[in-house]
Amino acid sequence: MKKAAIIFKKEIKEVIKNKNIWLSTLIIITIFSIVMPAGLILGSESILDDEDTANFINKAFGIVDEPLKVLIGFILKQLLLLLLFIPAMVSSLIAPSSVIMEKENNTLEPLLATPIGASELLLGKTLTAIIPSLVITTISFIILTVVVDITAFIKLGYLPLPNLEWVIVAFILSPILSFIITMISIIVSSRSTDIRSAQGIGSTIILPIYLIIGLQLAGFFLLSITYLLVGCLVLLAVCPFVLKIAVKVFDRENIITKWKMKA
Amino acid sequence: MIKVKNLTRKFEDITAVENISFDIGESEIFGFLGPNGAGKTTTIRMLSTIISPTSGSINIDNRDTKSGGEHIRSIIGLLTESPGLYEKISAYANLDYFSSFYDITPERRRKNIEKYLKMFGLWERKDDLAGTYSKGMKQKLALSRALVHEPKILFLDEPTAGLDPESAYMVRNFIESLKKEKTTVFLCTHNLEEASNLSDRVCIIKRKIIRIATLDELQNSSENKIVEIIFKDKAEKYIKLLEEINELKDIKIDDNKATVAIEKPETSNPEIIKKLTVNGAQILYFNEVKATLEEIYLGLIKDEEAK
Repeated sequence: MKKAAIIFKKEIKEVIKNKNIWLSTLIIITIFSIVMPAGLILGSESILDDEDTANFINKAFGIVDEPLKVLIGFILKQLLLLLLFIPAMVSSLIAPSSVIMEKENNTLEPLLATPIGASELLLGKTLTAIIPSLVITTISFIILTVVVDITAFIKLGYLPLPNLEWVIVAFILSPILSFIITMISIIVSSRSTDIRSAQGIGSTIILPIYLIIGLQLAGFFLLSITYLLVGCLVLLAVCPFVLKIAVKVFDRENIITKWKMKA
Repeated sequence: MIKVKNLTRKFEDITAVENISFDIGESEIFGFLGPNGAGKTTTIRMLSTIISPTSGSINIDNRDTKSGGEHIRSIIGLLTESPGLYEKISAYANLDYFSSFYDITPERRRKNIEKYLKMFGLWERKDDLAGTYSKGMKQKLALSRALVHEPKILFLDEPTAGLDPESAYMVRNFIESLKKEKTTVFLCTHNLEEASNLSDRVCIIKRKIIRIATLDELQNSSENKIVEIIFKDKAEKYIKLLEEINELKDIKIDDNKATVAIEKPETSNPEIIKKLTVNGAQILYFNEVKATLEEIYLGLIKDEEAK
């Protein structure tokens, strides 16, 4: 654990210095935690004026007393899912750069000749991707809550967040997703020498989330706590598999003999 | 210190190293020589427990590599073929990072980093990014990294590659000085003069071991001794005479010097001198010339290829 912490300490300094990671993260936080929620909630009345939206609410929720409140509640469900893009993106940006940097510098062999264990190396790399991802995600959810509560209070005089769905998405679903994407990014990075192709995997993994949002908007189902918990369990079941593959990929022998290295 | 027995390593259908065995003692400098693709790097990787053998055993500091990997890695230092440095952090940070994986106090770590950076003339630029270093400076930094935790065994893969003559001389002297500190050195090099000057014994490998011996043993074990005959006049005059003597082979003439290979010089030399002088040759000198490691190496590799 001490050696994994040494790796984490060194690599986190490099992550902090990496402007590309911070700039991308800042843009995503601004869009998903500030601009989108503020815009959608403040403009919800005009959305409601649209005949299709009114028909959609009638179809999905029946006749309701406060259609604006229902609409904001519906928007929030989509926003929570959209915010999952943040842990996915941060993990998929950091994990591949951490692995491919070792390849670019040819540092894997001298590193493996030290008393470090391959599992400690994997743990160090994993922490480097997951911890910033969780910190940034938590900050994003807090910003989202503040923005949503201020705008909803202005519109309707109530504070919709935090609620149980928010807690599940922010503190259960996000870490699980971050872990899976980190593991998959590490596995992909072992076979790649190009950082961009390895980073692209994050945006591919997140596609099912857009599918869920699309199905909700099409009125197929409405996300509930039960659905979220089922989603958490499904993803949790995936975790041991990706971990097992990552541990296998990070075997000392595999790193030297099977990883694709820079020429 | 290092005991290798019947070591074989295969990569799918390719056998990189086949059934090699050797022992290396404490504070010995062991030259490991062979052409490209001979299995040198694979052997170093197995000895430093980075990869495991397909069969055979390695015992280092009384520990088997299969079970004692972490202990072995804690007492070895490895200089890889490419320097392998983090280019975006400083030279000091590189050494500090790598040395922090070893069980040494932060104070000793600091002292050692300073010692080696000063020794290799890098101290003034310790805070510069490693990526801004020249090839030679990177090599010296990588060598410092291999030494900073004071290893008992040092694996050096081409330690003077990319160094200017002055730095290479300094590194060679340093390797020689390691003997006094009881450090065992496994020296992999293509520089045969370097191997010849530094090594207590050399091992010539081409997938299998061709020969392990001291330089003296190699020179004395050669079947043909090289003899240099200096005549008073042009050696060309005596070429026919030399060719008529059965004991002589590989005759080379250069001005008043003839270089020849002689089988069993102890018995042949008096006869050869007699024949030459009887036929009017005036011999100024008749010297045995020791074959260089390069000549022996090339001869052994050539013989191996002919098999």
